[in-house]
Order: sequence, then structure tokens, then C-alpha cells
Amino acid sequence: MGPARDAGAPLLELRGITKCFGRLTANDDISLRVSRGEVVGLLGENGAGKSTLMNVLSGLIQPDQGDISLTGKAVSFASPRDAVAAGIGMVHQHFMLVPTLSVIENIALGDRSLRLFPLDLSGIRDRLAKVSNQVGLEVDPDATVGRLGIGEQQRVEIARVLCHDARILILDEPTAVLTPEESTQLFEAVRSMAAAGTSVILISHKLDDIFGICSRVAVLRQGRKVLDAPLDETDRDALVHAMVGDTVSAPHGERVSPPGPPIVTVKDLRLKRDNGATLIDDLNVEVRAGEILGVAGIEGNGQRELAECIAGLRRPDAGEISYDGEPIYGSMTPRRLRQMGLRHITEDRHGTGILPDQPLSENHLLGHIRNPRFNRRSWLQRHAAKEATASIIDQYDVRAAGADAPMGSLSGGNQQKAVLGRELADGIRFLIAAHPTRGLDIRTIAFIQRQLLELRDAGVGILLISSDLNEIWRLSDTILVFGGGNAFGPVSAETTSLPEVGAWMAGHQ
Amino acid sequence: MRSIQFIANLPAPWRVAAIAFAGALLISALLLAAGFSPLQALFVLIEQSLGNGNGLSEVVVRSVPLTLAGLGIAVAFRARVFNVGADGQIIFGAIGFVGFSLALPGLSGWVLLPLSMVAAIVGGGLWGGIAGVLRARYNANEIIVTIMLTYVAFQALGWAIRGPLQESAQIFPRSDAVPDGVLLGTMIEGTRLHWGLAIALLAVAATYVALRYTSFGFRLDAVGENPLAARFSGIRDRTMIALSLTISGGLAGLAGAVEIAGVHGRLQDAFAEGTGITAIAVALLARLNPLFIPLTALMFAVLSVGASGLQRQLGIPFPLVHIVEAIVILAFVIAGALQNADRGVRDA
Ligand SMILES: Nc1ncnc2c1ncn2[C@@H]1O[C@H](COP(=O)(O)OP(=O)(O)OP(=O)(O)O)[C@@H](O)[C@H]1O
Ligand SMILES: [Mg+2]
Repeated sequence: MGPARDAGAPLLELRGITKCFGRLTANDDISLRVSRGEVVGLLGENGAGKSTLMNVLSGLIQPDQGDISLTGKAVSFASPRDAVAAGIGMVHQHFMLVPTLSVIENIALGDRSLRLFPLDLSGIRDRLAKVSNQVGLEVDPDATVGRLGIGEQQRVEIARVLCHDARILILDEPTAVLTPEESTQLFEAVRSMAAAGTSVILISHKLDDIFGICSRVAVLRQGRKVLDAPLDETDRDALVHAMVGDTVSAPHGERVSPPGPPIVTVKDLRLKRDNGATLIDDLNVEVRAGEILGVAGIEGNGQRELAECIAGLRRPDAGEISYDGEPIYGSMTPRRLRQMGLRHITEDRHGTGILPDQPLSENHLLGHIRNPRFNRRSWLQRHAAKEATASIIDQYDVRAAGADAPMGSLSGGNQQKAVLGRELADGIRFLIAAHPTRGLDIRTIAFIQRQLLELRDAGVGILLISSDLNEIWRLSDTILVFGGGNAFGPVSAETTSLPEVGAWMAGHQ
Repeated sequence: MRSIQFIANLPAPWRVAAIAFAGALLISALLLAAGFSPLQALFVLIEQSLGNGNGLSEVVVRSVPLTLAGLGIAVAFRARVFNVGADGQIIFGAIGFVGFSLALPGLSGWVLLPLSMVAAIVGGGLWGGIAGVLRARYNANEIIVTIMLTYVAFQALGWAIRGPLQESAQIFPRSDAVPDGVLLGTMIEGTRLHWGLAIALLAVAATYVALRYTSFGFRLDAVGENPLAARFSGIRDRTMIALSLTISGGLAGLAGAVEIAGVHGRLQDAFAEGTGITAIAVALLARLNPLFIPLTALMFAVLSVGASGLQRQLGIPFPLVHIVEAIVILAFVIAGALQNADRGVRDA
């Protein structure tokens, strides 16, 4: 169990926080107390208002009503700077790093104590070395952030907040992009910070996270706080019920028909990293119609590159990939592949998946700009795009003000649902799904997984990339494991076992 | 820094007012220091541009190239490509127009005028396209490339009117007059207002429709907002970037042709000086919306016509007039940027 709940005035108290966006009430009269050294879990469905509440606390947005006090004194934050100065640091769900700067420069940004003339980063360098040591978060201070993987970027974000001496650390879905080992390391770090008196608020959709390190848990639902209890006075079922008002069962993939002919064939594929090191060596694999090929493994071992090769976006160093028997590199373009039914749920939604300032309907157009339904001889058919978007909002239960709501105004999970809806619509034959359920609440995960299985049964070929081994195991017909510069498999799911795949992931043969 | 923060925290209309006020103060101080009365200058500026029919028609004439070049800049900006070299593209448009019409003087105006206009668009488009291809293929910074290409264009113009295109009399550094058939006649008798205005308004309509209602406009915006998302959706982002600068240059080239055919009648030095730079402010202030561009072009035309009156009427030296003009343009651009700054960032 976490550190002791101590007496006296709470370190932090939120009272009656209310925040509306237009007609939508994202936070409805929410109160929350956090004591020194306490680790509070914050749970709730996608769009429940978790990030909004934490954005209020970190000064990013101003509440319509309610107040905040720190050690009994009322405070108000006009900007994140004020909150940082008061010792509140937040690691956002979507990272806020400058991709062209190095790690150390990113950490220096916004540090007011820094001497600029001449610029001296050595102090920050020392601090970074210290915290990353303490916390076990390995980061290369001189790496360019834009070149880091998404999991590594997260580590930088956490390290940055820790470098700024936070008394209260807010982590918005930190484990969504971490490997199990990284999560374990992070939790170690959180525990030692809590022991030293830092309070932590942790947002997560994973109950394991909550039960792993939290001492108290609060659940939001449609903007209201519906549960707030010490962890030892509640259990999983109660939490799930509070979150979704129901129980959720994970789907199982009994297949109904055998797979068809191969759609994507990868032959002798070889890929190098930018620095010349081998990433993928002589990979041979195929994905047939009506089959899910699960690619398991720690991120950064070539999964993204493989996906990009198949999508026609990255030329392999050697080998051949074909789609419907035609070599992709030679005659095909990403556009042609898309017209032939290839769809791609990318791992970096903000970087490669959406137009955040544009309405949902324009984001739908983005994926279907060559579809005659939306593009009649070059004339955009916006009304058709709006209709299609409205039906996706309906079908996928996207919590949004409507087809005109900007993509960026949606909660993270709801953005993901909108992207899924776009990619799965209209003529899909092959799907590259990179971490399709990342950041989603348990009910939505079950829904999406059911969708994938239905697509498979309808004859779609699916390449499922996930770092969630259970997801891979439950959904895949064939499994490929990437790890430590090697690929294991492909093996049929029937001829292997979960522990065996786990061992491959860890790099044991 | 503090005062900028303060202004940025004001509500939008106040922010704009604060910038306008600061700009006015600065200009007044400059004029006073040089021994001129700011109030009188303001009076002359307005009187010279809006106070009489002559001034008014001059304002509209001046707004025509600003509109065309502004449209071009907006097209590129929509793809987040910064075309700061419209001046060079204007020059190559004009060279294309004059060169073509002088080379084929026998053709009737009905044929020659449209063909020469096309030559101008090709000329400007090529000059913009070079920058576009360099950016798309080699990721060369388009701001630097377009500026450098403008210097090259200035030299090319100087050489053309002293060399291959110089007038037959070989006295002045200018070309022969273009054939009468390609001149744009006056729209309203007794003014200098020429049919270039109609061309500009047509271009406004065409650009608006293309950007708003066609797949081309959508792809341009998509590349501007998130080039990788566009690429992942099968849009050729690099091609779009090259294309945006080509079209941008083509529109600027058209501006050059219209300026020659409507005002000067021949190629000469500094025939449209500063148009391309002012057009950046025109496009930004119109928030890249083609429909607003003629209006913002008119505003800057008032400034430019009025400012040249300052020199004539009050004897304010040209450098000072240019400084005043620049301050006004900067104030508008800053105000425009601050207006847009309201849109918040969101994380999740
Ligand atoms: N700036 C904004 N403009 C309009 N609506 C917004 C804005 N910010 C949040 N919302 C809406 O408020 C609601 C709560 O969003 P919030 O991001 O807090 O959800 P969340 O609980 O963090 O969900 P997730 O688990 O998906 O991240 C959502 O319906 C979202 O669309
Ligand atoms: Mg969130």
C-alpha cells in the first residue's frame, strides 16, 4: 500500500470546480483533496473530464466556478507558469515538447532561473542526471526530441517536470505509451517521490496502475465525481461500475471461416535505422484476408517502420513487399494503396493522424479525399462528409459537440474513436492498426476489439501492432514478436502459448 | 517583454487598439523629430488618397497588383509556405509579358493579350516554382530562397532593359512600348482605372472557389496544417508544396503583367517596387481569405497613395515616408497576429 495518509490541512484542495465548453459541462462541481505524499488515482471514461480537471489545476485553463487552495491558502493560476511556480507540474497526455530541440533544451525551456547570457545548461544537465538516476528514467540529454520514440518522449516530459521541483505531480495517462518494464520503473519512481512527500495525481484507464500504486481513487463520469474512496475500501468491479455504469467483458475471437488469399506479402525485408544499425533483418511474413497478424514487442524495435513500409511511406533497404500481388515499391503510391483499401491507424495520432484545428468532418475528408462520394470531379462534397461523420459519431459513440467540432477539442480517447471511424469506413480491405486501443477506456477497448474481430470475419486482413501482450494474444491468428533487433515468428497462435510469447518479447529464445 | 505580455492578455479589440495607438505614437514622434506636424501629415495623407476623384482612382489602380500578388501569397501561406519573393515573381511575369508581346507584334490584340498574360503567369510561376521545388525536394528554406531569387530578378530586370529588351532607340533603360493591342484600356473615362481591376476581381473569385470548394484547396490546407497527416492519407505533400509556390508565383506574375499593361505600357526599372512585400501584409491582414484581400489591398493602397502625397505636398523626404508606411504595415500585421492568438491550445 502507498504511504500513510497524514492528518492536518490537505496539501491541495479543489472545491466545486465547474468548467463548461459551450453547452457541454466538462467538469460539474468537482471537489478533490490531496494530502502530502498521497498518490491519487483519477479514473473515468473517455471524455469524463479528467484532463479538463487537471488542466484547471495546472493553470492551462480557467474554471468557470470553484476554487483551489494549497495548504489551506486560496490560489489562482492565470497560466501554467503560475502553477509551476506553486509547485504543480503536469505531464500531459499529448506531449508538449519542441521536436527540433534537444532533450536538455526542452527541459531548460520555461525555466526562469536559467541564466541566458551566456547560456549555461550545465546546472540543468546535473539536475536531469540526478532525477533520471533517482527515478530510473533513462534519457539522453543531447538527443533531438523529434527523433525519439513516443515512449522516450514521455520519459523526457516526466523528467522535465521532476527537474522543476514539483510538489504535486500530475500524470495524465502516463502508462498508455510505456512498456510494462517502463511502467514498473515509473511506479518505483512515483513511490519514492511519494515517500519523499511529493503528491501524485495519476490518470489512467488501466486498473492495474491504480491498484499498483495509488492509495486513493476518484472516479469521474460525465463531468461529475461519482466515487472517491481509499483504495482498500473498493475493488475492481466497483470501479468499473462507477466508470461505465455496467460491467464489461473482453471479446474473444472464435473464428468462423478460414483465412483467404494473402493480401500483403513481405519477402526478405531488411531495414536499417538512420544510423545504419540493422532494425529488421530478413523478415518473411504474409497477412491473408480474414487474418489478424499480431506484432508484439517493446516499441521501437521496428514495428513503426514495418507499418510505414507496408503503407508505401518508407522504402525498405532490401526485400520486397507486395499488396494484392503487386510490388508496393515500384508502381504503387500511398494514394493508390489507399484506393485499394489499405487503411492505417498510426501510432502517433497528433503527428500523423489528424488535423487538430479542423472540424471532425474535414478530418474525415482527409482520409477519403479520393473517394468519389466526397470528391466529385475535384468538387468537395462537404455535406456528404458531414453525414458520414455524423454516423461515425453515432456508431462509435464519439463524445463531441457534432461534426463541426474541431478535432482538437475532443478528449484523447474520443479523437482515437473518430480516427478509427474514419479509417474503418468505406471500402477497407487491409488495416494497419498501431496501438488502436491506446488511451481508450475499458468499454471502448472492448468495442474496438470487437470491431477488429468483425472486420476479420468480413475478410479484412489486419496487421495489429500493440505493446499490450494480452490484446495481441486475444485477437491474433498469427503472432510475430519484435525484440532486441530480432523478429521471432511468425507462429500460429494455436501452436504457441502466452508465456512463450512473453519470453520472446523479453528477448529469450 | 512585460508590456507585450500585458497587451497579449487584453481582449482582442483592445489589443488591436493598443497596437494602433502605439503605432500612431511612434509615427508622430518620428515626424515631430523631423520637424513636421503629424496632424497635418495625417490630413494630407487622407486628402491625397480619399479626398478627391483623382486620388480615389489612383487608390484603386494601386490596389490591383496588391490584390493579385496578395492572392498568390495567400495560396502559398495556406500550405504554410512563406513566399516573401513576390517582387521577383512580379518582375518575371512582366518580363514574360513584355517579351512575348514584343516578339509577336503581328497578332491581333484579342489573341496576343491572353497569350501574353499566360506568358506572364508562366514567367512568375517558374520563378516561384524554382523555390517550390528546392523546398519540396531539398527542404531548402523557402523564405531565404525566395528572397535570394528576388535579388536575382532585380538584376535580371536591369539587364533585360539594358540588353535584349532595351528600346530600339537605345537611349533609356527601358523596353519598347508594348503593342497597343495588349494594353488594358480604361474602365471609366477620364481616370487611370483600367481593366486590370476586372482581372483582379476574377482572380479573387477563382482563388476563393478553388481554395474553398475543391479538393485542391482542401489538400493545400491539409498540408499546411499537418503535412505528415496529409502524407499518411495519400496526399503528396511535397508536390503540393512545390505547386503552391508555383501558383503563388503565377499570380504574382499576373500582377506584373497587369501593372505593365494597365499603367506603364513598357518594362522599366522599379515599375512595381515594394508591391510584393506590401502584399504579404495584405494577405495576412485578410487572414488568407481571398474575399477579404481586395479590401485589405485597398487599405494599403490608400496608405501608399497618401504617403506619396506626403512627399509632394509637405516635402517629407521619401525615406521617412517609407518608414511611416512600414510602421503602419507592421502595426497591422501585429494586430492581425494578436487577433489570431486567441485560439487556445489543447492537449488531449
Ligand atoms: N477546449 C475544448 N473545447 C471544447 N470541448 C472541450 C475542450 N476541452 C475539452 N472538451 C470536452 O470536454 C470533455 C472532457 O474532456 P477531457 O479531455 O477532460 O476528457 P478525459 O476524461 O481526459 O478523456 P480521455 O480519457 O479521452 O482523455 C470532452 O467531451 C471534450 O470534448
Ligand atoms: Mg484526457
